Amino acid sequence: MKKANTRKKYGTLISYLWSAPSLILICLIVIFPILYTGYISLTNMNVYHWFTYDVIGLRNYREALLVFDSGFLSALLLTVVWTVANMILQLVIAYLLANLLNTKGLRLRNCYRTLLIVPWAMPGYVSILLWKTGMFNSQFGLLNQWMEKLGFSPVRWLANDISAFVCCTIVNLWLALPFMITIIDGALQSVDQSYYESALLDGAGWLQRTRYITIPAIRPIIAPSVVITIFTTFKQFDVIYLLTQQAGAKTGAHIHTILTYAYENAFITNNYGYSSAVSMIIFVILILFSYVINMKPKEES
Amino acid sequence: MHRKGKQRLKLTLVNLILILVCFVTFIPILYAFSVSINEQNSLLGSDFSFIPRRVTIANYRRVFTEEPVVLWFRNSMILAVSTVVIALGTGIPAAYIFSRRRFPGRKAILQLLILLYAFPSLLSMTALYKLLSPMGLINTRTGLIIVYTGTMAVFALWNMKGYFDTIPVELEEAAKIDGAGPLRIVLRIILPLAKPTIAVTAMMVLIYVWNEYIFSINFMTGESTYTLAAGLYSLQANETSGSWPVFSAASLLVSLPILVIFFALQKNMTSGLTSGGVKG
Repeated sequence: MKKANTRKKYGTLISYLWSAPSLILICLIVIFPILYTGYISLTNMNVYHWFTYDVIGLRNYREALLVFDSGFLSALLLTVVWTVANMILQLVIAYLLANLLNTKGLRLRNCYRTLLIVPWAMPGYVSILLWKTGMFNSQFGLLNQWMEKLGFSPVRWLANDISAFVCCTIVNLWLALPFMITIIDGALQSVDQSYYESALLDGAGWLQRTRYITIPAIRPIIAPSVVITIFTTFKQFDVIYLLTQQAGAKTGAHIHTILTYAYENAFITNNYGYSSAVSMIIFVILILFSYVINMKPKEES
Repeated sequence: MHRKGKQRLKLTLVNLILILVCFVTFIPILYAFSVSINEQNSLLGSDFSFIPRRVTIANYRRVFTEEPVVLWFRNSMILAVSTVVIALGTGIPAAYIFSRRRFPGRKAILQLLILLYAFPSLLSMTALYKLLSPMGLINTRTGLIIVYTGTMAVFALWNMKGYFDTIPVELEEAAKIDGAGPLRIVLRIILPLAKPTIAVTAMMVLIYVWNEYIFSINFMTGESTYTLAAGLYSLQANETSGSWPVFSAASLLVSLPILVIFFALQKNMTSGLTSGGVKG
């Protein structure tokens, strides 16, 4: 009995020894900075108080959550709208395209699939910058060249909130659809074809088959990927930052997601304490969010 | 006969739609390519055409002669390779242990890692800056490597643990009976079997470092220390119509290696990623 106990302890020790390098790394570089962010959020650290800051308690949190003018709550609202709009568009478009790819007798299926996933393989920031300069630029962007050919005056696509939001959504769709198409396409391939045959015999139309066979069949398969995409959409930074609010090259639109909001307060207006408070609130939202959808690891116990 | 005709019509229609969708998808890339090889820089002129009348590679040459792209490439490579080596070197043994052994604290750590994975490292940028600067690590490669390895260590551990879970334990038990220690088991049995996940994890880490620009532009000052991503960012930041052809040439050049790696490993993508608990 005692021998078994020491062996167990020895086993635990070995386990920790093996995972120590990775865990220590994570503690020092990930966990400690998060805790430190929590500490900064309680201070008035900013560009004037970089070394000589004071602990001011929860004042930063109060400003973010209770003062509507501070901008955090409207950024949060916009982030929710952004996530919902993007997810609906992504799922619908990816579903339709994946269905087209699965048309019976389509010879060039693999060719189309390969072409359609290219945006996924491109470095994200490169694509966004190409969109910004190549498509949306008000002088030599392709869209305005087309506008001019059609006899319209050029439009400053990224200069007002609504059109900038639409532009960001288009770019985000361009970036995110390939992953979603791949996932739904894979799920569609796993649906048992015999269901469709019997449904066809019963005279079920496309909509009915979609509603009663396809969607229930693919839902559990695509669910984890959809959850992950919701997270990445919610945390989206690059698209909005690079398109509309690069330092020194703001386009005039004021659309902020919570991440660009936190970033702007940290590195543009240098309000570190406040920005850290926003960061901690975002972290809490993300934790709550993952508890709600119960993204616990699947474990064979 | 009638049915067959209808089927054919449907297929033609589907093909047409897909061709159109593929074309629309490629417009930004094609346009950038067309600008990059266009000899007349008549971007502002009304006679611009999608297909350039005279082709040139001058813009590609300018990328190498006028911009320190080779230096940026070197910086990116050093950062990427160091991060991959550290993240995988620490991640593989930990992933193996978390997959195979049951010990007190294991579940709690796994739960914590999921939470950490949800936390965007961008949000602790201030804290990281404040912690690294007294150590003199701002504006050094070491500083960036530290930031990148931290973010990627969580991903590497989770992703590889998920794949190790799918490798049957029986294989190891046979080796254990033959008297092989854990180190030998990992080296001889697990590593060869886990090639797909190691390749994909390494690729994801590499792509992350290759594409990361926000830490790079905030922590590095001065053109000579830039990575490719930060360099490209600075190229477009002083955006004038003159630098846009060079920028598009540079963009396509930078994307090329990533495209090649992506498609080379695409076969492994599904098994290497979907079996892991976390996707990139």
